[in-house]
Amino acid sequence: MADIVLDHIDKIYDNGYHAITDLNLEIQDGEFMVMVGPSGCGKSTALRMVAGLEDISEGELRIGGERMNERAPRDRDIAMVFQSYALYPHLSVFDNIAFGLKLRKLPKAEVKERVERAAATLDLTEYLDRRPKALSGGQRQRVAMGRAIVREPRAFLMDEPLSNLDAKLRGQMRAEIAKLQNELGVTTMYVTHDQVEAMTMGDRVAVIDKGVLQQVASPRDLYLDPDNIFVAGFMGSPPMNMALTTVERDGDHLVAEFGGARVAIAPQLLERRPALDRYVGRRVAMGVRPEDVKECEEHRDWPSDQRLTVTVDLVEALGSGIEIHFPVPAPRVQSAQTLAAEEARAASDAATPDADGSAGGSSGQAEAPASGQNMWIGMFGPRSFVRLADTIEVGIDTAQAYFFDLDTGLAIRD
Amino acid sequence: MSELGERAAIGETRVEEARAAEVSGGGSGFTGPSGTKRGFGGWFADTGWRHIVALFALVFALFPVYWVVTGAFSSSGNLSTQQLVPDSLSLDNFRALLSDPGHPPFWTWFWNSMVVCFVTSLGTVVLCALGAYAFSRQRFKGRRPGMLTLLFIQMFPNSVAVVAIFLVLQRIGDVFPALGLGQLSSLTLVYLGGAIGIQTWLIKGFFDSIPHELDESAKVDGATHFQIFYKVILPLAVPILVVVFLLQFIVTINELILAEALLRGNEGNYTLALGLSRYVNAGFDSRWGPFAAGSIISGLPILAIFYFAQRYIVSGLTAGAVKG
Repeated sequence: MADIVLDHIDKIYDNGYHAITDLNLEIQDGEFMVMVGPSGCGKSTALRMVAGLEDISEGELRIGGERMNERAPRDRDIAMVFQSYALYPHLSVFDNIAFGLKLRKLPKAEVKERVERAAATLDLTEYLDRRPKALSGGQRQRVAMGRAIVREPRAFLMDEPLSNLDAKLRGQMRAEIAKLQNELGVTTMYVTHDQVEAMTMGDRVAVIDKGVLQQVASPRDLYLDPDNIFVAGFMGSPPMNMALTTVERDGDHLVAEFGGARVAIAPQLLERRPALDRYVGRRVAMGVRPEDVKECEEHRDWPSDQRLTVTVDLVEALGSGIEIHFPVPAPRVQSAQTLAAEEARAASDAATPDADGSAGGSSGQAEAPASGQNMWIGMFGPRSFVRLADTIEVGIDTAQAYFFDLDTGLAIRD
Repeated sequence: MSELGERAAIGETRVEEARAAEVSGGGSGFTGPSGTKRGFGGWFADTGWRHIVALFALVFALFPVYWVVTGAFSSSGNLSTQQLVPDSLSLDNFRALLSDPGHPPFWTWFWNSMVVCFVTSLGTVVLCALGAYAFSRQRFKGRRPGMLTLLFIQMFPNSVAVVAIFLVLQRIGDVFPALGLGQLSSLTLVYLGGAIGIQTWLIKGFFDSIPHELDESAKVDGATHFQIFYKVILPLAVPILVVVFLLQFIVTINELILAEALLRGNEGNYTLALGLSRYVNAGFDSRWGPFAAGSIISGLPILAIFYFAQRYIVSGLTAGAVKG
């Protein structure tokens, strides 16, 4: 077991493509680090560089304090799980799992004992004599896991190991892998494009876009305190509502001008994010999580200056809650970063059609540009009576709102 | 909707045809694909003519085989008197070839051919698989030019270079007689050289279809390049290796031009093809029967190899490696 340090890592391909720019990442010993980002963002490349399957153009990779740049994959003492599983089709499950041990010339008895222990951990004991083609997708995935854990390596590297499974199995394996990693305590780097996996599995999550690390934080911090507009738009399902607003001063407090309507900014937010004061009179991007859009029917004492009157465009009952979609008069935020986040979401939704119930809602959001309207989503309680085409008042919990600088895309904090 | 309508219309015309046939008395009960009865004419236009073509192709392909087999077992042993259906069968021709006084050294030729064919085929498989692995999996300077060179050289058959090869072997023989003219070892080497190009391409094509993740997975698991080749790629490529072995065996056992040029004058080192060809040319008409008998015996090893190899020549051996 060991920590993994990526120190100013760059990857430039022979054709000049700059896949990764100045990646700095420290993965603690025993930590479960998830790297998430849209496809083609370089997260797999980063993982393959740690594995030794790609050369490192610049920077230093250290595992357990030792420089790894020049070492062959077999000398790095790491195990990797591939998206396609990469099982050896001509070998039985036993031999697949034992492959790495036999290469290391371990005594036969020990190989047998370790393979059987790994198989027992993964419920594979009865399949040890089978060939991979006689296994189901979930079982193959488990064999791939078995091949990794039997080696007892210093680190696991997993490259989208669940994306070939169906939704139900994926949820199940998600929990199993997280549990297994927790028990074994092996440092793990896990690459995925699925933000649900990222949120549920990682001790910490690294969000990457276009080869640049956007933010590394715990899932909670990533969700509640995104560094920039890309992270804010990418994490969370349904996604964060965004609109272009102008911050104005109205007496002793600030308001967000909202295409005619005005929403007062709660003083608590200003205490937490004093820098907002400097943005008075400027255009900013405002973000509100769907759960911070309140149904005024239920919150009767919601401050009247933090409300919007809207017409419901779509109602999606999810059982545990109701997702309502409504247009807001303020224009959409269309910077390169938000577009990237939207594309990334659309791609990941397409790849995982029913990752969970709420993913369907976000694809609705992705279609919004066609109408040109800025569609927002509110999460109401399951007992709400809101119906299609109703005109209702929604409360905006501006104490939990986010503001982003339009030039830099960074969160406005302090 | 319109497609359905069309189909219904076709069905109706078929029924009408069948009725017309019945009325005219020609309805002898041929059943078409749609289950309707129709006349012989309709059946022939649809299906029957294919049988004629197939029969013609069969006769075309099998007649030479039939001719050789009856030639070998007929009692006359003479090309000019051989009949389409022989009067009587006998093993006289085999006796004339193998045991009668003055018979040729057939078993020596047979043994020579077996040695040359096995060594050549095995060598081809090993060398070409190694080369194909490098071309398929490694990236190095000169990879593409190397592959193209192989291809271009392959376009000229070995026999084009027969004079050059003859001269080279003559010189080598001056220094190192074991690899000179008239030697089976030198013939084997020449065959090996001629085989490598196209077979390397063939094997490389198969290697390319084996997912790279398997290599990478083995690499991370701790395998060296040779271990990847030996433990992962080779077992998965068995079908193509068997095919290459078989093709090379057949080509080699039938090869005549190079053998004739290089083994000339050393009858003890003749291969089957060369020995039999010289034997029959010395008296084509009277030696036709024994020659046919020898041809049949020389076909048996190929048959045997094919019989044992066919279970390896199965597709889909890579199924289950990656989710398809």
